[in-house]
Amino acid sequence: MTASALTRPGQRDRLSEKITEIDWRLVILLAVVGGTGAMMLYSVGGGWSPWAADHVIRFSVMTVVMLGLALIDLKWWFRAAYPLYGLFLLLVLMTEFTPLGYTAGGARNWLNLGFIRLQPAEFIKFGLVLALARWYHAHSAQDARLSWKLLIPAAMVGVPFLLVAKQPDLGSAMLIALTGAAIMFLAGLSWRIIAVGVGAAVAIIPPFVMFVMHDYQRNRVLTFLNPEADPAGTGYNIIQSKIALGSGGLLGRGFGLGSQSQLEFLPERHTDFIFSALSEEFGFVGSFTILLCYAAIVLISLRIASLSYSHFGRLAAAGIASTFALFILINGAMVMGLAPVVGVPMPLLSYGGSSMMTLMIGFGLIMAVRVHRYSELPKGQALF
Amino acid sequence: MSKKSEPSIFFSDANERQGSFLRRTLLFGGGTALGVTVLSARLGQIQVVQAAEYSTLATENQFNYRLVPPPRGRVLDRNGVVLAGNRPSFRVLVVRDEIDDLDQTLDYVGKILPDTLERRRAIIRDVNAAPRFSPVPVKSDLTWEEFSKVNLHATELPGVMADMNEARYYPHGGAFAHVVGYVAKVSAEDVDAMKDRGEDVPQVVFNPSYRIGRMGVEKALDAQLRGEAGGNRVEVDARGRVVAEDQAGSRPAVPGKDVVLTLDADIQKRALEVFGEESGACVVMDVRNGDILCMSSAPAFDPNLFVSGVPSSIYRAWADYERRPLLDKATTGTYAPGSTFKPVVGMAAMLRGANPDRVINCSGGYYLGRRFACHATHGAQTMRDAIKNSCNVYFMTLAVEMGPDPIAETARKFGFEQEFDIGIGGQSEGLVPDRAWRRRNPVGGDPNWYPGENPSFGIGQGAVSVNALQLAVYTARLANGRQNVLPRLIHSVGGVEQPRQAFQPLPFPEDRIQVLRDGMNAVTEAGGTAFRNSQLGLGAVRMAGKTGTAQVRNYGAGSRKGAGQPWAMKDHNLFIAYAPIDKPRYAMAVIIQHGGLGGGTAAAPRAREVMRVTLLKDAELRERIERNGFVETEDPGAHDVPESLAPAAAPPTAAPAATPTGPRPYLSEPRG
Repeated sequence: MTASALTRPGQRDRLSEKITEIDWRLVILLAVVGGTGAMMLYSVGGGWSPWAADHVIRFSVMTVVMLGLALIDLKWWFRAAYPLYGLFLLLVLMTEFTPLGYTAGGARNWLNLGFIRLQPAEFIKFGLVLALARWYHAHSAQDARLSWKLLIPAAMVGVPFLLVAKQPDLGSAMLIALTGAAIMFLAGLSWRIIAVGVGAAVAIIPPFVMFVMHDYQRNRVLTFLNPEADPAGTGYNIIQSKIALGSGGLLGRGFGLGSQSQLEFLPERHTDFIFSALSEEFGFVGSFTILLCYAAIVLISLRIASLSYSHFGRLAAAGIASTFALFILINGAMVMGLAPVVGVPMPLLSYGGSSMMTLMIGFGLIMAVRVHRYSELPKGQALF
Repeated sequence: MSKKSEPSIFFSDANERQGSFLRRTLLFGGGTALGVTVLSARLGQIQVVQAAEYSTLATENQFNYRLVPPPRGRVLDRNGVVLAGNRPSFRVLVVRDEIDDLDQTLDYVGKILPDTLERRRAIIRDVNAAPRFSPVPVKSDLTWEEFSKVNLHATELPGVMADMNEARYYPHGGAFAHVVGYVAKVSAEDVDAMKDRGEDVPQVVFNPSYRIGRMGVEKALDAQLRGEAGGNRVEVDARGRVVAEDQAGSRPAVPGKDVVLTLDADIQKRALEVFGEESGACVVMDVRNGDILCMSSAPAFDPNLFVSGVPSSIYRAWADYERRPLLDKATTGTYAPGSTFKPVVGMAAMLRGANPDRVINCSGGYYLGRRFACHATHGAQTMRDAIKNSCNVYFMTLAVEMGPDPIAETARKFGFEQEFDIGIGGQSEGLVPDRAWRRRNPVGGDPNWYPGENPSFGIGQGAVSVNALQLAVYTARLANGRQNVLPRLIHSVGGVEQPRQAFQPLPFPEDRIQVLRDGMNAVTEAGGTAFRNSQLGLGAVRMAGKTGTAQVRNYGAGSRKGAGQPWAMKDHNLFIAYAPIDKPRYAMAVIIQHGGLGGGTAAAPRAREVMRVTLLKDAELRERIERNGFVETEDPGAHDVPESLAPAAAPPTAAPAATPTGPRPYLSEPRG
């Protein structure tokens, strides 16, 4: 029996009813992408170790977690929004200002809590989506469009953005800013502010690149403009990635047979450039299929968002979906030589626990929004 | 749409928020779809449209060609004995691009192979000069123990490996050092020289383990010996490490061609042996076809040392040693021929109509303005007698009568003052003076040839200088009697026999040559100048010859021709010979630098030993000798080889040779 707006509330709360409401199309699409990721990690790692086994275990565990989270009533998500945001912000601060944070790959973006090592920059994105969704839920369309109150969500975005940018983890900082911007846009931000913001960004980026960025970051950006200028140095990544893509051709070179990825010409082939490895071994057919899966995941998520009765649910699901979409578009553009090389992984394909964890929790939230799409959260009323 | 002042109605506001959200979500979804479409289009562009281009780039990444140096061709003697070959050599190599810290790595290698520390600077230079991922040998010729040690530590030493390759090897040490030459590391000058000659410089030359020929056959036939480098198509990873070899895509190296020389290893080794510490050259030729059976220069150097680089202390010692081991005295060094030149003067006179039976009286000296001494008072001499006794007065008389030009002309017909095409370089022409030469080289501005110079020229002194090869060719032509024999050294290259040069008829009447040969036959008979020291002990097979002494400096009157003088002050000692007397087959020339005393004392006994081996190596002659038996000569002491060969024990009773006195003292140090 399918749930509808007319289903009695008590019936909708039943566990069996909730499970049937889980969007299994989404689960299958995620499993396809996650499985492809495991396969590619197996290929470039030359076996289950060092990456593929981890990836499979993480994905399996997180799938269970995701399905569990899908059953949690939206009001709990709503209540947890600000505390989670605060917690994750604290983790970012700890990374930055306590000895628990440590540096890897040029940026101090890892936090060692003893029992687990995390990249808080990944988690803060999820926290930001929740916090913004909750804030907008409690405010009117007018507030969301154009008002001084918008300084509060702007601050919610700005604080983690600046902290992460200081690490300096340019890719994550950019994603935080873009995620925040996406939610503010979806919440109904005035086109005038959007125009001013875009204008300001365009005006500020060149001086920012030239004077504020670290050398290695600036090199990445400048290299993107002309990768062939230094093929052995900073342009190497982009050139090797394009070679991997191109040599894959239409049908690919076969599983485990991509010379670019197998012989390690492709840099970061298990994280940022795994899509290139996939494209090399499975060709245009394989890479296009995965792109379609990604597009389907985003569109289904946006559809789920649009079906939610609560504004919190809408914005939370759409926020997660937009983060996901940004990941895909930025990483895709990056490995295809359309964007500078910034450290943005390909979601669920790339190896990386923190990213996988936040993404799967995010999809748990999206599914929870679907399962609980009829629940109405009271506006402007404290739930504590 | 401002509703700020009005209290918002819950449902309308909610509807407005939802409507706005739905529109924006639609926009966002559309944007995402557009983004994915752009990415797909880009994928299509790279993966479908430009696929071929990028595939090529991927293949370039994936495969490298590793040069496989070709095995160098061998140099063999006429019987197939290896004169220059290749032997396996265990090496340690380093690959720069696999090493993080070269200094640290070399420190570690130095612990295993301490002697690499001394050459550290040279190693670092080699490593830095090598192409990317090309292994550079750090040390060659490891012992098995060292080799296993390096292999054991290889895992701790990334970028260091041990392997086996081929190194040039000269099994006979110095015996063929000058004629076969040696190989050494390629220098920038070598590459420039190849470019100057208009040759393509093959890539293999830049391989650090490649060796280039630097002297003799190794240099002259370098291109044929070199072979063609093969290519090993290897799959490499991003760090340039070889992952796999692609047999199908590889091209094997083409080995260099083997070069067979006309030399006979046994004869040449015997020559070097009998020279001992003496300095000089020995050339043996087959008078029938010009094959050079022996062309040695002593003292020699060990060419094996050049293969991996001569330590500078040793090189300095060679370069500074007064007996000059690095000089090829057979072709590069030139010396005054001394009395070995007398048959040339005799032939020149006879060609002008002189009667060989004409008697000239030797009173112990010749007077032309001053006295030119003879080493004895010979009395009445015919030309035969004069050659047998090496009478200076006789040939001084002929020379003064003729003047220099006829002598020079005849000398050139015998092969002096010319280079022979024997396939290797390094020959010096020497000099045969005549009036034209004097006009080109005036003495103190005076271009005239004075009669006072003729007596010296008549006995092979003065400006005339020859090399050992020319002396041998001259002797071979005398011995052959009919043909203008030309020397030949390269028998075949890569199994293809090198064409022989056609011999022209000798421009001398046979009966005149017979006169000279009669005289030379008498030299080795009782009473001749080389009787004691030229008895072969091979029965009827006898040797004819002519002694010679080339003066190094003017001794005071009554001196003992250098005896008791320091080595460098002693006279050069020469001997030319051919055998058998009745049907000459082999001709030879021996020069002993600063041998002292007369031509018979140092050169003749060595010539005898070499000639004996030469004759016994000839199957036909050997059969003849064995059939007739070894008849003892009258003088049993003649076979006392070790004694007579010891330079210090040169018998003082030996018949003295010519005592030439020239108008000007000169030093017959080799030119160039």
